[in-house]
Amino acid sequence: MRKTLSKIAIGIESTAHTAGVGLITSEGKILSNQRALYVPKEGGIHPREAANHHSEKLPDLFKSALEEAGLTPADISLVSYARGPGLGPCLRTGATAARAFAYSHDIPLLGVNHCVAHLEIGLLEGAIDPVLLYLSGANTQVIAYAAGRYRVFGETIDIGIGNGLDKFAREAGMGFPGGPKLEKIAKGDELLDLPYSVKGMDLAFSGLMTAAKQKLDSGHSLSTVAYSIQETAFAMSCEVSERALAHTAKKELVLGGGVACNMRLREMANIMAEERGVKCFVPERSLCVDNGVMIAWLGLQMMKADYNITEKDNVVDQKYRTDMVEVTWR
Amino acid sequence: MEVNYRGAEAIVETRQWLGHKVIFKTRNKRGYRHPSLEKKLVKERLRSESRIIERLISRGVNVPAIYGVDISNNCIIMEYIDGITLEKALRGKDFEQYLAQTAQLLSLLHSLNVVHGDPTTSNFMVTNSIYAIDFGLSTVSEDDEDRASDLRVFLESLDSHHSEISGREIFLSHYSEWSSSASVIEALKVLELRGRYNLMRG
Repeated sequence: MRKTLSKIAIGIESTAHTAGVGLITSEGKILSNQRALYVPKEGGIHPREAANHHSEKLPDLFKSALEEAGLTPADISLVSYARGPGLGPCLRTGATAARAFAYSHDIPLLGVNHCVAHLEIGLLEGAIDPVLLYLSGANTQVIAYAAGRYRVFGETIDIGIGNGLDKFAREAGMGFPGGPKLEKIAKGDELLDLPYSVKGMDLAFSGLMTAAKQKLDSGHSLSTVAYSIQETAFAMSCEVSERALAHTAKKELVLGGGVACNMRLREMANIMAEERGVKCFVPERSLCVDNGVMIAWLGLQMMKADYNITEKDNVVDQKYRTDMVEVTWR
Repeated sequence: MEVNYRGAEAIVETRQWLGHKVIFKTRNKRGYRHPSLEKKLVKERLRSESRIIERLISRGVNVPAIYGVDISNNCIIMEYIDGITLEKALRGKDFEQYLAQTAQLLSLLHSLNVVHGDPTTSNFMVTNSIYAIDFGLSTVSEDDEDRASDLRVFLESLDSHHSEISGREIFLSHYSEWSSSASVIEALKVLELRGRYNLMRG
């Protein structure tokens, strides 16, 4: 009988740059979505420094999330945290915070898969059985449900698209995060010839970013190069998601991950979906980027299906792949 | 005119053409792509696919014959193979024989330095013999890792659609009849040890 009552979960996200704490009800009502972003002083992400940032911020994020929602720990029936994939020190920091909160308030604790959370939060938009185009810093995957698992139909075979954009932006003298900065200056209609690497449903980005840097060094304007990178990399991403849609005969597309905030990508994905006659769902920006709400939501979905928490759910896993998760809640 | 398949880059239709039932494979426009990128990709792929099929035809491999290429419409007109897909055929009792023939066909492609790119059980047709179709993702390559990747795609589609038959051993033993297969099988082992493939086990 308790099952029919509304439940509230708290989710802790700390896989990479973002420390996040989110609160959501079992009906999908978002009560709070608190986030703090680690910005490196120079260079790329330093795992230990990012972890230090998270351990500094997380206590305040817990507090402000509960305050915003007007809740006390006693109102919460599940603590959910991102077990992986991600950077070891960051994951351990989030897990420690989650454990401390769960044990001190005697609430069940569950570790969930970060990539699957990106997909599941897309279902809140109304999709039922979609293909997810998941584009973030470290992850670039095309995921869909088949036979008990979220299977990865295609993915990057070298670097994640976001890391590629960030790296190019950094080399071009822009700070972190590079993707949004490139989006702002990307202009024009002159398309430079850059490597378009699609292998079946897999992608590769490192050659593209190297070639882009060479174009920049050889005198092309930053706005033209940025424009060409976006056109090429996003067209590749749309093509592999269309391949997955054709292959699985699914009728819905969901975008997820930080790069899915890019307006040009959204536009291209919408055109592709329209031409193909499938429906395209784009979660709002704060749910596309890494956040605690999606972690909490996935935890609730798993518990709704009476997921049996074991010891392994309490251990972080840097290489926790999407297709390792047995989907029992669908 | 009957649309058989709307893929990610082409529409495949069955049509009557000069008194024959033929396949029209048209690479239709992708509105999300920049026009000049679109033009370049379609031209490259049209050319590569037709050349690879030509190469195989000239060696007598069982692939659909090309009747014509209509460059202005980005369209390849080719032979209609009147049969059932291997995926369906494998559900019958003669599956061992079909697996053996498919393995021999794939090793023949590989021996001619063609990598299919997407050899799933839906991309082989069974008539009185077996035909390989859809060379949209094919490349010319003599790299054992590319060949091994073909094997993996085939074995994975066997695994996901035909888990009831243990086709792997049969398929690989017949593939191994090809004299240069040993290094490909070796490359397959290395490929399957990579994290992204070996974690698929449930």
